[in-house]
Amino acid sequence: MEPIIQVRDLTKVYQSKERSGLLSSRVKNVDALKGITLDIFPGEVFGLLGPNGAGKTTLIKCLTTLLLPTRGAAWINGYQLERDENAIRASIGCMLMGDRGLYWKLTGRENLDFFGALYQIPPAPRKKQADKIIEMLNLGDIVDRTVETYSSGQKMKLAFGKALINDAPVLILDEPTNTLDLPSARELRTVVHDLNEQGRTVVYTTHQMSEAEELCDRGASIDRGEVIALGTIPELKASLNREGVTKVEGVIPATAFRAVRALDGVASAALSSKDGAQELVIVAPNPRAILPQLIHALMDNGAVLEQISPTEVTLEDVFIAKTGRTLAEDTRVK
Amino acid sequence: MRLRIMSRYPGGNLIDIAIPTFIAAMPILLGQAIGGGAAQAAANFQQNTGTTNYVAYLLIGSNIFMIVSGTMWNVGYWMRREQETGTLEALYLAPTGRGSILLGISLYGMIRTLINFMIAFALGSLVFRVNPLQGNILLALAFLLVGMVPLFGIALLYGAVILRVKEANALIQLAQWVVSFLMGLFFPIAVFPIWLRVVAMLFPPTWMNNGVRASLLGVGYFFQHWYFDLAVLGVFCVITPWFGYWLFTRIEHGIQRDAGVGEF
Repeated sequence: MEPIIQVRDLTKVYQSKERSGLLSSRVKNVDALKGITLDIFPGEVFGLLGPNGAGKTTLIKCLTTLLLPTRGAAWINGYQLERDENAIRASIGCMLMGDRGLYWKLTGRENLDFFGALYQIPPAPRKKQADKIIEMLNLGDIVDRTVETYSSGQKMKLAFGKALINDAPVLILDEPTNTLDLPSARELRTVVHDLNEQGRTVVYTTHQMSEAEELCDRGASIDRGEVIALGTIPELKASLNREGVTKVEGVIPATAFRAVRALDGVASAALSSKDGAQELVIVAPNPRAILPQLIHALMDNGAVLEQISPTEVTLEDVFIAKTGRTLAEDTRVK
Repeated sequence: MRLRIMSRYPGGNLIDIAIPTFIAAMPILLGQAIGGGAAQAAANFQQNTGTTNYVAYLLIGSNIFMIVSGTMWNVGYWMRREQETGTLEALYLAPTGRGSILLGISLYGMIRTLINFMIAFALGSLVFRVNPLQGNILLALAFLLVGMVPLFGIALLYGAVILRVKEANALIQLAQWVVSFLMGLFFPIAVFPIWLRVVAMLFPPTWMNNGVRASLLGVGYFFQHWYFDLAVLGVFCVITPWFGYWLFTRIEHGIQRDAGVGEF
């Protein structure tokens, strides 16, 4: 099967100004994408996974023609980036991260109508498509109010609806559930799933691996502008098949974390804070064998342990195993 | 779409209509104070401009300044506003040519400022007791309409600058005064030294302003006959939009190569 999205050696280097005084600054090159190569096939939900600052949004912006890559090439729906910009734009429906792309002084319906007109959809089918979106996303109660009166979740929902207005074969969603509460996020994922069932290809970026596990057929883990893992979700998990994951919760000082990382038999370890508590994730070929040394290393370095447990391999563990960092870490180049 | 948005800020149009009267009031009152009464001021004014009707002269200048100002900054302000509200990227995602969007924005601005011009001119005429229906109105209208085409080009140039420097207000503050000075808002450019007169005549609104004044008040065309002056504006109509669009697309492309249009 021919891929609907082909990306070859896509590289993006930004120039960013670093202020070093009141009047002086120096230009710094930031490698946002380092030779990304991947294929996305028609009808799949493809996850772009990685922490904030990994390069997901830059990749999306390149694919949607908002940014020109420094090097490399990409094709969407048979059209080549930089050569067939308008044909690519017509082939995709896009929702950017934290999408603010709505006119607050217009109603939801007027926004849908306006953006439909920009896609050169004639008035009658435009109205029909808008009505379909309003029904699909349960926007009926709010759609005739100006957007300024919406809650942030309602705005996100309408922004998602806007991405559907041109009924494009490819849907690109950049962290669409970011500001949604749990029920709304679940509802949106259901709609994405239904749209995929109807044949749309979906590119879905997220830093929540549980979301990717629920929704995606395949995925690419991106870290610091590079693809570090690529495959179906079971394939990605299976890459840790011969390794086990142990989670430790409690108070874990930096010295204890360093001691754990230095242990023989630990493939990788990452420390994160969650709801005020610390969580240490350890990936090791044989977790049972290292358990005594692990407990010693932690206790000798002042850790207070609340729980130690072996866990199922998740996509986040795959990321930790590849990078030694958790997804909560912000890797944006400052 | 912009009309709908503007209709939800009803105060904005009222301010646009009232401003020209206030702009004209200051030099009119100052002129009367210095000239020693309305008759004396009119006589002095005729020596420099060829008309005694300094009230209408300033009223036309201030109203044309509002057209020039409203049209010239329209694209730049629009770009900046869309950048700040986050809708610029959404527009760039759509397969609509940039030229059509910019033309739409400019046409909207032009129509709006033209309507405002007519209402504001009528209001000012009422306040200062000037007959608004004097001279060759059709010819004045021709100067107005033809003069708006090069304004579109200047608006694109300014939009390109805003896209690059991402700052609208400071640039406008500075340019407002330069524009009003060069186009002869309060005085005829004949009072300029020759080099400054040449600079002013490279600026299309100067021709537009003088053309309207000459048609309505008979102050004299730069090249003696109305058709020569209109022809010069016609040349500007070709050069300015072309150069403006060329520069705009070049800067836009450069920004896409860099951090993107949504960065602000």
